[in-house]
Amino acid sequence: MAMDTGIEQHLAAGRHARAFDLVVPAYKDRVFRLCFSILKERAAAEDATQETLVRVWKALPGFDGRAALGTWIYAIARNTSLMELRRRRPSVSFDDPDSAEAQHAAASIATGPADDPERDNLLRLLETLPRNQQEAVRLFYLEDRSYDAVADQLGMPLGTVKNLLHRARKRLMELARPDEVKAA
Amino acid sequence: MIDTTLIGPCADYEHDLVELHDGALGPERARVIRLHLASCARCRTWAVDFAAVDAQLAASLPRPALSPGFETRLEAKLDALTRQNGRGARREAAELEHESLLESLQRGVRLRATLGAIGWAGLTLSALTAVRSLLAQNAGLLSSLPEGPERWVAFGAVGVAVAVAGLAWSAVRNGLPVPGFAR
Repeated sequence: MAMDTGIEQHLAAGRHARAFDLVVPAYKDRVFRLCFSILKERAAAEDATQETLVRVWKALPGFDGRAALGTWIYAIARNTSLMELRRRRPSVSFDDPDSAEAQHAAASIATGPADDPERDNLLRLLETLPRNQQEAVRLFYLEDRSYDAVADQLGMPLGTVKNLLHRARKRLMELARPDEVKAA
Repeated sequence: MIDTTLIGPCADYEHDLVELHDGALGPERARVIRLHLASCARCRTWAVDFAAVDAQLAASLPRPALSPGFETRLEAKLDALTRQNGRGARREAAELEHESLLESLQRGVRLRATLGAIGWAGLTLSALTAVRSLLAQNAGLLSSLPEGPERWVAFGAVGVAVAVAGLAWSAVRNGLPVPGFAR
């Protein structure tokens, strides 16, 4: 990333404040989208973005360049968001799609009230997927369907991201059209 | 039990169909998949369903943005932290200065004690020399002292007494280094 080169030059020269001045416009939106994909609430995601950038500001003088700057910043953003998630919901988990809770949620949502709009139903079905699949899907559409951006921000190999997205959307197809599956 | 082989796409093409839809497939592979789609009704149906879910997701998922005042709030937060850090830095500097002062005080105390000890040793030696010359001038007094080693023991006892008295005086005046110097 060309912007990263400028930031890294400032960092190498010990000009941390000037480097940070470039970090904010370069990363704030992507960090926000990453936080939102995990926290699913705008206000919470904005708070997490601020917390992430404050942590980056504090730690920037110690950044050793072993990882890419973006990788480092996204890791801080993920940790900040996950800490917030744990603080808010310490016990609820749908990570295992085969768990009784997830199956029950999926069944109740898929056979929900008939007047539910299809769109809302799909979003609620998304909630029943494992957390990592949900995050990948949200981030994928927030990042204009960029596999690379998702892999970068979630700190995962490209193949893993493709697989997560594939499984998530395939599962959503199955959940959204149970009648067709049964008929077949 | 549902036989998914009857409703899904051809297993060899499933991932490629998704990547074709996402625009992530290379041109040559994309051409191959399009040819397959043209001849496979199952894959065509699945691809249409997939595209529908994809379009729904793209339209349904919220796309929030940071609020306009975000950068102002971030700057205010960083300013507050900078001020806090400034106070912390000043406190740290004062503590360092205090440590340095204590260290130099300890060094001064040790130096004074060393000089005091040397001074007292010189004084003791002078006193012994004076006593010796006094005895030499008064032969009668010298002959009254015992002969041999006892005479040197007597001289030594006088010297030790003077040195102990000097050191005791130094200690009373806090002129000796004291272990465990408290802050």
